[in-house]
Amino acid sequence: MWLWAPVALTAVTAALLALPVTPALYELWKRSDAAPLSTTRHDGRIANFSEIFRSRLTPLRPQLEQCHTRRELSRTSIEGMQVLLVGLKDFDFHPSLTDSIDAVMLSHSALIPAGRVVEADVYADGRLDLGEGSALRAARGASDIILGKNSAVLRWLHAEGTIRMRPGSTAYGRLSAGQSIRLEPGCAFQHMHAPQILTLDSQQDDSQLDDSHLDNSHEGQDGQGDTRFVSSKLHVCQTQDAGDVANSAPDQGDAFASSCKRLRIQGDFVLPAGETLNANVIATGALHLGPGARLLGTAKSYKHTVIEEGACVHGGIICGGTVWLGPRSFVAGPVLAEADVLIARGARVGEPHALTTISSCGVQIAAGCQLHGTVWARVRGNVEV
Amino acid sequence: MLMNLFSTIIALICIYTFRHYCFTLNRLFGRQRHPYVDVETAVWPPITVLIAAHNEEAVVADIIKALLEADYPREKMIIIPVNDRSTDRTREIIEAFAEKHPSIEPFHRVGGKPGKAAALKEAMLRVNTEVVLIFDADYIPGKALLRQLVAPFFDPEIGAVMGRVVPLNVGKKSLTRLLDLERSGGYQVDQQARMNLHLVPQYGGTVAGVRKSALDEIGGWNQNALAEDTDLTYRLLLAGWKTAYENRAECYEEVPERWPVRVRQIMRWAKGHNQAMVSYIVPTAKCSSLGWFERVDGVLLLGVYLMGPVLLLGWLLAVVLFYTGVQIGGGLTVLALGAFTTLGNFAAFFEIAAAARLDGSRQRIRLLPLTLFGFTVSLISVSQAAWQQAQKSLFGSAELVWDKTERSRTAPVLDDSLSPAASVLRGAL
Repeated sequence: MWLWAPVALTAVTAALLALPVTPALYELWKRSDAAPLSTTRHDGRIANFSEIFRSRLTPLRPQLEQCHTRRELSRTSIEGMQVLLVGLKDFDFHPSLTDSIDAVMLSHSALIPAGRVVEADVYADGRLDLGEGSALRAARGASDIILGKNSAVLRWLHAEGTIRMRPGSTAYGRLSAGQSIRLEPGCAFQHMHAPQILTLDSQQDDSQLDDSHLDNSHEGQDGQGDTRFVSSKLHVCQTQDAGDVANSAPDQGDAFASSCKRLRIQGDFVLPAGETLNANVIATGALHLGPGARLLGTAKSYKHTVIEEGACVHGGIICGGTVWLGPRSFVAGPVLAEADVLIARGARVGEPHALTTISSCGVQIAAGCQLHGTVWARVRGNVEV
Repeated sequence: MLMNLFSTIIALICIYTFRHYCFTLNRLFGRQRHPYVDVETAVWPPITVLIAAHNEEAVVADIIKALLEADYPREKMIIIPVNDRSTDRTREIIEAFAEKHPSIEPFHRVGGKPGKAAALKEAMLRVNTEVVLIFDADYIPGKALLRQLVAPFFDPEIGAVMGRVVPLNVGKKSLTRLLDLERSGGYQVDQQARMNLHLVPQYGGTVAGVRKSALDEIGGWNQNALAEDTDLTYRLLLAGWKTAYENRAECYEEVPERWPVRVRQIMRWAKGHNQAMVSYIVPTAKCSSLGWFERVDGVLLLGVYLMGPVLLLGWLLAVVLFYTGVQIGGGLTVLALGAFTTLGNFAAFFEIAAAARLDGSRQRIRLLPLTLFGFTVSLISVSQAAWQQAQKSLFGSAELVWDKTERSRTAPVLDDSLSPAASVLRGAL
């Protein structure tokens, strides 16, 4: 008996000591989680989801054309996805037809009736209209997409042409267009990308949106008469010595605006009205550009940034607080704010040939603004009513 | 006197414990800062990508292929493989790529001072772009990585950028699995918390970028630095430039698969870091342009590798004081000692556990008790490194030697028929 006691004590002690490392030894042996951590594999573009959707549906195009010719509906599946192919012109997305369907592929334009909720992803080979109060999970259109009043898109939306959002419509997730996105008052969004993003007054219709108003090449001829879309860059640079700007302003493509002279200010910084400064400014307080002032570099502030009416920033804005872009102000480069970005009527960010990014928690845009590139509202963006 | 020394050690341990907890709790519950991550569209600046390569015939083709696949305007990117006195087929492989791709401009270094900093210093003479990205040859960047590393340079205050390093050969050995956890803690918690709290994220020398005008302003790469990354972080900081950490700019790397390789690696890091500590601890503490928290974090970061020998000394003193019957004082000291022997010792492991949770990897956290073994090896290695450096400064000895980390990959893993990401994962599995 006395021989077994120390053996038993040793065994129990060893077992108690081994207990905490048992899961570790088990994991070493089983290797259940021994793969490398997955890293970001996509290229981060807003249109990624719609591109993946398009590429998954591409093999079904011959079948879709067949349905179109026969004016019929057909169910099929691809990569485990149930797809409804629609060749009918008056398809109304009735729930009985889309039940247990993952995607609807239409060979022509379509209208989602008012108040209808479509849970499937939609591909339309023509224009897609969402009726008032309707809701859609995700859609890709080969032409334009119109979101009716108070309609909603829950995941993503991509149009090869233009997306128009009527008052009160909401796009959660990603919104992208090959040509332009036009938002009316009261619209809400999160992430959007297009060569041209315009905020409109509710009374404007498409016929009033002659692109000649928006194209820089025409601004000198007829753009000045239309205050909604007058380029503030044009305004400011023409009222100053344009030659001086041409000589001193860095061309982002070649010289990278972030590389000009650095001016570091302890505390607040104010560039008075009408003044021009050729430097990158870093202010550990707030930063304020007076009306008509021009900064030929990038503005960084640890607190808030205010760009007054008609002021220009030829680089970007980096801000630890909220950025306010005044009426008819212009920013060429990225606008990155850790709080919000508030954009007043007539302001412009980016250029048609030099797209850029606005990124912040919230983005509020007034009517009559032009943005070019990406707007990334981490929480929510909206157009003022 | 021994008691005073012991109290100082306990206080230091408590400070670092507090630091670990601040970082971990910030990552778990604090506001997260990723100010540059959403820059999707911009007029991207011209860049030069430097690939530091010394006898890298097994791996150099992979990184060049991956860079050629990168989502960055091709006309704005120059790739300079910096072939530093290689004696294997590195030169031949690089030249084969250069013949097909004009954007590759090889730099073959045949002499001069050894070491990465010296090679980069010479290579910088060929760089004409404002933004320079730097990779070691065994890294495999993803498609979007270059844009993610360039985006912070739109901020005129940013002098350097650091991305996140993710081990690729995790499942190969027990050591690689422990290093995977350690790297997670270091990047996912430590670096990102410093970014969140506006402290001092560290430039890490690879998967990184530097602004040329900032580098020129501080006198270029320091050829005498064993850890050119730490050296650069502090010289930039003292000159008014910030380093940004991009947690989502992830890149695969190989970690050592053999303990001797790991020991040499960490000893080199420790020596380089300690060298930087001697040079920059006083200027950092006194730098009036830095905020108080930045100064404190900068000083603590410089001291991390010195904490190894300090901890060992503390353990030794605890034994000596116990057997000599010294009274250890009042309640606060007892409390501090308690923290040192319990919570303090585990603060770093709490950090690793939090990192594994943030990474969403639930099963590998079971290995946490085994990291104690890796911690012990590191403790002894960095203490040995510190001892060697102390000997050198006291008695003088040969110049510090730059020791290249041995690669375990024996052939390229990227398959031309697959995307880089797919072939990387296939190779790893």
